[in-house]
Amino acid sequence: MKNRRDWPGAPQSIYIADSFDGAISLKCAVQKPDRYSFFGAGTTTHCAIARGAGLSYAAASFGGDAISVDMSSFDRVLAFCDKTGIVEVEAGIRLGDLYNFLIRRNFYLPIQPGHGRISIGGCIAADVHGKNPFRDGTFAKQVQSVKLFHPDHGIVNLSETAQPALFRATCGGYGTTGIIISAQLRCVRVPGNAVEVHIEKVASVNEGVLRLRSLAHDSDFVYSWHDLTLPSAQFGRGHVVVARFVNVPITRPSQLYIPQLLPNSRERWPVGVYTFWTARAINAAHAATRGRNTKHVTLDQSLFPIHGSEHYFSAFGKKGFHEFQAIVPHDSFGEYIAGIRAATAYHSVTITLAAAKIFAGTSTLIRFDGDGVCFTINFPRSQRSPEFMHSLDQLLLEVGGRPNPIKDSRLPRHIAEAAYPELPHLRSVLHSWDKSRMFRSELSVRLGL
Amino acid sequence: MTTLVFGGSAGIGRELCRALAAKDYAITIVARDSKDLIAESAYCGLLSRDRVDWIAVDASDPGAVRSALTNYISNGEHSFENLIFTIGGAAENDSISDTDEEYIRALHVNLTSIMVAVSTLLPRMASGGTRNIVGFGSVAAVRGRRLNVAYAAAKRGLESYFESLRHSLTGSGISVQFYRLGYVQTQQSFGRKLLLPAMRPSAVAHHVVKNLGHDIGLKSLPRFWAGASLIIRHLPWWIFRNLKI
Repeated sequence: MKNRRDWPGAPQSIYIADSFDGAISLKCAVQKPDRYSFFGAGTTTHCAIARGAGLSYAAASFGGDAISVDMSSFDRVLAFCDKTGIVEVEAGIRLGDLYNFLIRRNFYLPIQPGHGRISIGGCIAADVHGKNPFRDGTFAKQVQSVKLFHPDHGIVNLSETAQPALFRATCGGYGTTGIIISAQLRCVRVPGNAVEVHIEKVASVNEGVLRLRSLAHDSDFVYSWHDLTLPSAQFGRGHVVVARFVNVPITRPSQLYIPQLLPNSRERWPVGVYTFWTARAINAAHAATRGRNTKHVTLDQSLFPIHGSEHYFSAFGKKGFHEFQAIVPHDSFGEYIAGIRAATAYHSVTITLAAAKIFAGTSTLIRFDGDGVCFTINFPRSQRSPEFMHSLDQLLLEVGGRPNPIKDSRLPRHIAEAAYPELPHLRSVLHSWDKSRMFRSELSVRLGL
Repeated sequence: MTTLVFGGSAGIGRELCRALAAKDYAITIVARDSKDLIAESAYCGLLSRDRVDWIAVDASDPGAVRSALTNYISNGEHSFENLIFTIGGAAENDSISDTDEEYIRALHVNLTSIMVAVSTLLPRMASGGTRNIVGFGSVAAVRGRRLNVAYAAAKRGLESYFESLRHSLTGSGISVQFYRLGYVQTQQSFGRKLLLPAMRPSAVAHHVVKNLGHDIGLKSLPRFWAGASLIIRHLPWWIFRNLKI
């Protein structure tokens, strides 16, 4: 590795990179280019990985002896057509900034995750999902084309018609094909000037999922929240959030404020506050404030529900937290929930958050997609949690589910291989494109990409 | 009327272009690399309701700068309301042992090309309304140090040049402004351990746009550098020579 040439044209620094969940902390080199001359063909042989906002729960933008290439200076909108709804943006632009640009033109991206600090490049690389993946699919579905840089190939255009295999490996390939420079995305016109949000109480996770299935066809946003700290009879009680665009008078802010959320935000609280009793109290307060009601909110409030709740992550303290997010086939979801309930009791783990969405799609390569129920749980990192995670891995494989690699910074390779049968195909695509496997991260090395 | 931003494809210049575009100024961005210029002018064009175009020229060649600007003004009815020079930069190990080529490059990029650009464009400044010529220096030029030798010399020269320009243009209606910059979050400060907080380029741009049309003369940004510069300038030599800066 010592004989490899560094990346030219941008100053380099050493920093301590943290995965957002607090599991991985590594000393890494970072470069922050702000000019296109950085992306010159044949300029380097040193391994690298692109970095956007650095908010991935797993270590996807650092590690593996790679130089992290901070793309935040490439944050421009390059073109927009209001006839086709195609917007071309650089990979470092934040979702919130793109929202601000599009909303002035009465457009928006239907599929986006919950915080405006996340970069577009990160959304493509992790093929993230939005608030109704059943109807909308995952982020890759709204990607028309991508400009990708690899030192051996220069800047190449990828789409479903230009190098489709590489395009598919790039959307959801965790940055392993190269550095995404820019992308053309398909936006849609905002169907209404407000979003009508309806909260529907449910007695259990299974009841919530039944409601999600019936609502997912004709809702713009639909997901459920559940309290898994409650005793047996009430376990999983919660509510379904269903939202649709409407046209009612509402004051929309001219400029969305994007609250600060940094990779190390969580560390500001030295000690976590979540115990069984505090989690139960917080969940009870959350449930009480989200009673059965209908209200009208602005689009940004629906798209970015985490805005204003950043302290949720800080409250896990320095040790951080785990997220276990999985898509479970519909017919085995009941068994999965029963398994989670038993494992939670056995390992005495406190679930601080549980949420569900419905997916309908096909999982290819290592994309987190497919038919089933996406169920997410959060809990504090502790001495007991590795065993609990291990039991969840086993449970997931038994029910034929699929974990989300970007949400789990310890996901073992054999679990990923069992859940993603096309992983060997992704490896072969990567190796034929990049024989020296220049683009790598802790995540890609761990999963053997 | 046009606002020309020389060095507008990166750092402070880029933020300035965006701030000006958001206020619907017609902008001409000047920088070296056409790829950066195409991207930045496309973005500013989407933000602004007025015209945004660009000129690609390498500031290390003052002759090329004169030629490119002359060619630009001869091909259109341009009259300039603002000339803003964010161009400049320091080599990483700029010391007294640099080669002639490195010295000359530092002087051209930080001083000579700006003088050439001003002399080329001054006759095309608009005849009325708010007009400004804005330059950017550095606290590195307050005292000669072991590092940034050619860069600091050029920036001190630039400060002197802008003071002369202000004298010469007194009463012309053109406001000559000079910002002496401390630490700013640009490529030059990236990854360095800084003694004092660095300012965001967008905050610098905000100040510059706000001050257009005002006779501010020389201003330090961040503001606390005004006091720090005064102290550094008046430090006795026997103390200053022992500082490892």
